[in-house]
Amino acid sequence: MRLIIRDDAEASSSYVANYIINRIKNFAPTPAHPFVLGLPTGSSPLGVYRILVERYKAGEISFENVITFNMDEYIGIPRDHPESYHSFMYKHFFSHVNIHPNHVHILNGNAPNLEAECVAYEAKIKASGGIDLFLAGIGEDGHIAFNEPGSSLASRTRIKTLAYDTILANSRFFDNDLAQVPKMALTVGVQTVLEAREVVVIILGARKALALQRCIEQGVNHMWTLSSLQLHPHPMIVCDEDATLELQVKTVKYFKSIEKVASEQGFEQILPSAVRTGSGNRAAAPAVVTVDEVQSPTILSPQPTTSRLLRPTTPAAEYPVRSVSPDFELVPDRMASRLPDPSFAARRLTPNPEEREERERERHQVPRTVWVGAVGV
Amino acid sequence: MPFAESRSPTPPRNGITKLTNCRLVRGNSLVWDDVWVSSATGKILRSQAAFYDELILPDEMFDLGGRIVSPGFIECQLNGAFGFNFSTVLDDMSQYGKKVRDLNKKLVQTGVTSYIPTVTSQTSQLYHKVLPYLGPSGQSRNGQEGAESLGAHVEGPFLNPGKNGVHNPKVLRKAQTFSDLEDMYGAANINPNPASPDPSPAPIKMITAAPELGQMTALIPDIRSRGIIYSIGHSEATYEEASAAVAAGATMITHLFNAMRPLHHRNPGIFGVLGIAESLPRPFFGVIADGIHLHATTIKIAWNAHPDGFILVTDAMHMAGLPDGTYPWTNGEGEFFITKKGAVLLLEGSETIAGSSSILIDCVNNFLNWSGATIPQALKAVTSTPAAMLGVQGVKGSLDAGADADLVVLSEESVGDRTNLVVDEVWKFGAKVEAGWIRV
Repeated sequence: MRLIIRDDAEASSSYVANYIINRIKNFAPTPAHPFVLGLPTGSSPLGVYRILVERYKAGEISFENVITFNMDEYIGIPRDHPESYHSFMYKHFFSHVNIHPNHVHILNGNAPNLEAECVAYEAKIKASGGIDLFLAGIGEDGHIAFNEPGSSLASRTRIKTLAYDTILANSRFFDNDLAQVPKMALTVGVQTVLEAREVVVIILGARKALALQRCIEQGVNHMWTLSSLQLHPHPMIVCDEDATLELQVKTVKYFKSIEKVASEQGFEQILPSAVRTGSGNRAAAPAVVTVDEVQSPTILSPQPTTSRLLRPTTPAAEYPVRSVSPDFELVPDRMASRLPDPSFAARRLTPNPEEREERERERHQVPRTVWVGAVGV
Repeated sequence: MPFAESRSPTPPRNGITKLTNCRLVRGNSLVWDDVWVSSATGKILRSQAAFYDELILPDEMFDLGGRIVSPGFIECQLNGAFGFNFSTVLDDMSQYGKKVRDLNKKLVQTGVTSYIPTVTSQTSQLYHKVLPYLGPSGQSRNGQEGAESLGAHVEGPFLNPGKNGVHNPKVLRKAQTFSDLEDMYGAANINPNPASPDPSPAPIKMITAAPELGQMTALIPDIRSRGIIYSIGHSEATYEEASAAVAAGATMITHLFNAMRPLHHRNPGIFGVLGIAESLPRPFFGVIADGIHLHATTIKIAWNAHPDGFILVTDAMHMAGLPDGTYPWTNGEGEFFITKKGAVLLLEGSETIAGSSSILIDCVNNFLNWSGATIPQALKAVTSTPAAMLGVQGVKGSLDAGADADLVVLSEESVGDRTNLVVDEVWKFGAKVEAGWIRV
């Protein structure tokens, strides 16, 4: 899990937008090898869409070879109703960029056979090669897409009844008339999201703080469906400071320090190279890095559970779960260097290991040790 | 050009253009939004439906750089322009239609995409000859034909001789029966054509007449029943007479204040009908904001009295669009000369105002700067309000999906302490008007 914390909503949105743009650029999509992007609606991703549109208009990114799949859509309101997710996506994103309507997929909440619509949607995702990056937001109850509390973590695209809280919250868009608020929606399942090669979640504001805490610091739980992300090989959560209000100070500092050290070392917290570039050859294993095969599992019983075990053939499991170490010489890491006060870094807080080793070497004529430090990901 | 589009495979051209990065006139506000127009249907598209249903993208995209997009202007009082006077009989009448088509192509470049060509008080013979050429002209839906006639406006000859303005008093008549109107204008020009399966409207769209003369007030329902607007004008009507005309179906006042009794505090006259209760029908009214016909404050008062009925008109004569000078003019009887100096037209050797030669955007700019109205409010007076008056709301004077794609692209220009709107581009039936800009 990567957790990126930014000062405010704008900086968080900007981080996510830049991340998506860089992913698409590195992927270098072509008509034969498009980038498949999963998209959310709601207030959290609005800033991301705005920045993506700005960057498109500045000529910095093209969506020509991007295929999109949206998470969800209401059942029983006209497609062009101002509150439909078709309208949301058109208004905030599709109408401003060069995405072709043939490349846009949104569940049809007015399909004659909703069950068939859901099955066909999953088939379309599969036919397009699986989702490369699923962008998501969450609800205050930690729901991802319309997977309300209690949804099966193995769920797939289906009809879902909205939680009463959600209906109440949505009534503000429907003249405060509960009767007008759609009670049901079509949504991708938790498993559908987990099968994406990468999941990026944007969480903004104090109201989402409890949900973030449950999903980061607590266990996997169907009452907070976002927590299922813990099972994904490549999840990333981007949040603002307000959303961290319920987290432990230790958790916040930990994730901040990881990001700081990684960036200081020029080592962005990145995906395995094959996921990053796409390169048209998805089956290829990451080059260069060779990992000694462990002949027997480290843990014999119980086997560690990851999403790849839930469904062995998902796109998310195409790449090794083990993240790739950076290919530069690692240096010893000191907690002092992570502290903002530079005077700590200058001070030796522990006995100097290099000097001691030098003395030992002179005494015994032993070869120099190669120091290996850990960079947490 | 950041919007350079390259799609593969190349889809067939669909005639759809997207105007983006612009402010649309929507009601009383300017809204940042895109507008999609189709030159195939000549209409404004519901772009979201086109995107999701037809799976189409526009052929072309124009970044308007934040400029204003307004519905095309509708002119309700235009006697002629660019040297051609609608109230003219030519030796070879086949040339008349050619001159009207020529005028349309020039007029559209001033931002006027629809208008009702106005014929002043004339002899019956002239009406019979010219009206067939002035009827609705947009059937081909070809934007390159220029401005579109929505039907003719006959201003006279059933006018009060005391308020004739520059109309020839000798041709003025009183009507007692509807056949008097048929005889005057020609039955085919005033009655919808019932022969065709799709009844085509009569050439006449609006009649200006004095309600107090003859049986005119009683004839208003007959006029209305033919889909023709009855407008009060060139009249000595009292408040009571004007109210009776409104009750009978008059929905318009021709150039309010001009050629009628002024407002008197004990008899408010025709202007008084704007003061009746909001719940009762009040007519629309044309106002000439050329800086000559009316004082700026008078215009402001009229607007405040009934903003939803306020229509800006030019009442321009055929000297509009021509350089300053002295031009011949006939009111159907004698030859006169009219001196044009700027927008001012005077009968040669007198101080009598002989119409104006301003263009509609000048009137909009005058009103904008005199009244303190917002830009959408000022543009409403030449778009949605005249469309409502003519019964074509939602088709003309609107940027809503389904309306005709008649658009004007405007930029704002500061001149001293004035802010003027400048017509940069004109679109007619979804096609950009490609012609050299005629600066008038």
